[in-house]
Parts: sequence; structure tokens; C-alpha cells
Amino acid sequence: MKVTVADYGVGNLHSISKGLERVGAVVEVSSDPGELANARCIVFPGVGAFGAAMEVLRPALTDIRTAIQSGVPTLGICLGMQILFERSEESVGEGVSVIPGCARRLQAPRVPHMGWNEVDHSGDGLFEAIDSGEQFYFANSYVCFPTEKVSISETEYGERFPSAVRKGTIFGVQFHPEKSSAPGLRLLSNFIRIAEESA
Amino acid sequence: MPLAKRIIPCLDVRDGVVVKGICFKGLTEVGDPPTLAVKYQEQGADEIVFLDVKASLAGAETLRAAVQKTAEQLFVPLTVGGGIRTFEDVRQMLRVGADKISINTAAVADPTLISRCAGAFGSQCVVVAVDAKRTGDSWEVYTHSGTRPSGRDVVDWTREVCELGAGEILLTSMDCDGMKNGYDLELTRRIVREVSVPVIASGGCGNIEHVTEVLSAGEADAALAASIFHYGQHTVRDVKEALVERGIPVRRCS
Repeated sequence: MKVTVADYGVGNLHSISKGLERVGAVVEVSSDPGELANARCIVFPGVGAFGAAMEVLRPALTDIRTAIQSGVPTLGICLGMQILFERSEESVGEGVSVIPGCARRLQAPRVPHMGWNEVDHSGDGLFEAIDSGEQFYFANSYVCFPTEKVSISETEYGERFPSAVRKGTIFGVQFHPEKSSAPGLRLLSNFIRIAEESA
Repeated sequence: MPLAKRIIPCLDVRDGVVVKGICFKGLTEVGDPPTLAVKYQEQGADEIVFLDVKASLAGAETLRAAVQKTAEQLFVPLTVGGGIRTFEDVRQMLRVGADKISINTAAVADPTLISRCAGAFGSQCVVVAVDAKRTGDSWEVYTHSGTRPSGRDVVDWTREVCELGAGEILLTSMDCDGMKNGYDLELTRRIVREVSVPVIASGGCGNIEHVTEVLSAGEADAALAASIFHYGQHTVRDVKEALVERGIPVRRCS
């Protein structure tokens, strides 16, 4: 499966690329929004800030949105999950808006939410062979609240929030699978399998 | 179970080799960065920290090469610090595979580096390292690998860096570092209560009991240690088993 990883021009793309390669994907990193709009499978990585990431995508935003809505398998990680929503308290401006709802600041005494926390999932295929309650690595200050029933896992930190969402072939995870050791690689492998099946 | 307390092996790197020093002085070589990082990952380390103790301009390239090689095999977070001076240094280090960067001297010299990095890369990857030395009833911030007093008060400085967007504090007690008599619990607790970002305690770990103390009485979110792991005294797994027995939440190792 060829996967296009969106490059917003900042941060570590090396880890997600290595993680995807480890589970058998062929990875292409692209900062060209036109290429993203034509990708067969898209990963929005979890680095940077909402506004800056959207600036990079903006020139082809309509095409990217159309592609994702037409069934191009997509995985958003951390910030990459947040931009799948309509907007965020972090920055002004619209998101990719393929999942209804918004991201807002996490309500907890100590933010960022940094470290390994439990992910209670409801058995979606993204979590195949992963126990509910397994720990994944988080590093987030914002969380997403969808206005549709798309949550497939929840996590508790200060408040209970959706730590993974799925709408058709669109997935978002608030944690970093590429930094979550064996369970994280398993999740990436599950995503690639689902993407291949839907191709 | 709440958010797990983290165990973070620290690899002090000089000229591409992992070394261990005492009180910021006197270094012995203990191994190769990627090999040790992967070994600790397999033992259940929750994160890995690389600190370039020489932090020379010439060494930056060597360090980036070590980071890149490590990141290819590491599937837990990697923090890199030491000798990171500019926004561009930060960008490059993240680009080769660091998940977070740790800054001390450069942040003291120009605190806007913190806000600029947080704005561009996100707070979650900006760790401010604070080297604290006790002077009477307070602590002073030291820079340049612990060789220069900055005149800044540790409590005031940590508060300031959080306002600027630091996502985490890596707090090292210079008085305790390398002594293996335990972390500075008073310092750690003071800073944990002062700031609203996670605090990694560092300096002084000599045995498992010290880790337990700093994560309970010291209230730290994470404990960084070097020598107890490097010399094979304990594995990360040993430490976690002890923490589980004490009811301290940790990431389970398989």
C-alpha cells in the first residue's frame, strides 16, 4: 500500500514514516497539497500547530476534502486527527472538516497530556488484536469532540475524551501509534490492512 | 489506572558515544547511542533522552547522525538536548527523528526561542532543561553544562518558561547529580507544585528506591536516570516491577 504522509514543513516525520514502513507500507512524504488530493492513502502526522498545518493544505483543501470523503483511507494522528475536524481552539480558520465537531483545549490540571495512558476501545477493526485498556503514548494539549457518533475509543485524563474516531475509512487517533511500541505498530498495521481492503 | 509515571533512561552523548559523568565532570564511555536506546526500549523504557554533553558546533552533525540512526529503530519517544542553540537547530533535530528537543542555555540567553519553537512545532516537543544548584534557601539556574550561574531563580524561571510555551520541564539537581544518593525531593516537589506542565526529575538516582521516592514523595511525572541502567545494576523492567509493588502507575511491559 502506498501511503502519502502530509508534510506541513515542521516536526518529526521520520518516526511515522519508519513506523508505516515497518508494517509494510510504501511511504511517500509530500508537502504538495495537490499530491495529497491524489493520494491512495493519506496520513496526517501529529506534529506542529493547527493553523500552520492548514496553511499548507489550504491551496488544495477542497480537492483533499473531496478525496477523503470519496473513500481514500485516511489516518490523522494527534494534531493530524484534530485537523480532520471543522475547527480548533488552537488557531482560527477551518479544518479539513471531514468529521463534524471541533478540537478544544484539554481540561486537566497538567497539560500537555504527556505519556502513556489507557485506551478503552469498543472493538473496531483498527484495534484488532489490541486489548481494550492497552496503553499508548500521548503528547497533546487539545482534544476532539465530534458531534456525530464516531468515537471508537475513550481515554481519561482530567476528563474523558474520544482518543480514536472512525467515520467510514477516515480514522483519527489522539495518541501517537508510531511512538507506542508494539501496540502502536499493530494499530498502524491494522490501518494499512483496512486501507488495502477498501482499495 | 491514571496516566503512567514514566521511566526515562538518559544517554549522555559525547562525540557520538554514550558517556557517564559525575557532577558534570569526569566522563567514562559506556556504549553506542542506538544500541543502548534500543536495549532500553526492549526493557520497557517509556522514553529515551540523549544529551550531548560536549555540545560543540562540530558535534551537532555527529549527534544528528546518531539520532537518525536511533529513530529508525526506536518506537518510543526520543528527546534530544545539548548544544541546541537556534530555531534552525531545533527544526533540523526534529527533522532527523527527535520527538522533543531539550533546551537550557539557549533558552536562558533568548527566552523567545521557547515561544517560537512552541508556536511552530507545538509545546509538546519543547522541553526546557533546568540545571538547578541550591544556594541557601533557593535554587539558581545554571547554564553551559552546569558551569555558569545565570543569576536566575529556578522557581521564577520555570514559571516563566511555562508561560512561554514549554511543554515539559527536565529538572536536574546539580547538587545531587552523579552522587547516587537520591533525587532532590524538595526541589522536585516545589517545581511540580509551581508549574502546570509535566516535570521530569533528574540527578542523583542510585537505586530503585530513589525512583520510587521521586515519583511518590517527590511528585514527579517522570524519573530520568543514567548510571543505574548503564552499568547493568538494574533494568528498566526491575524498576517498573518495584513501582507496581508500591502501587505507582506505570506502563506495563510485556
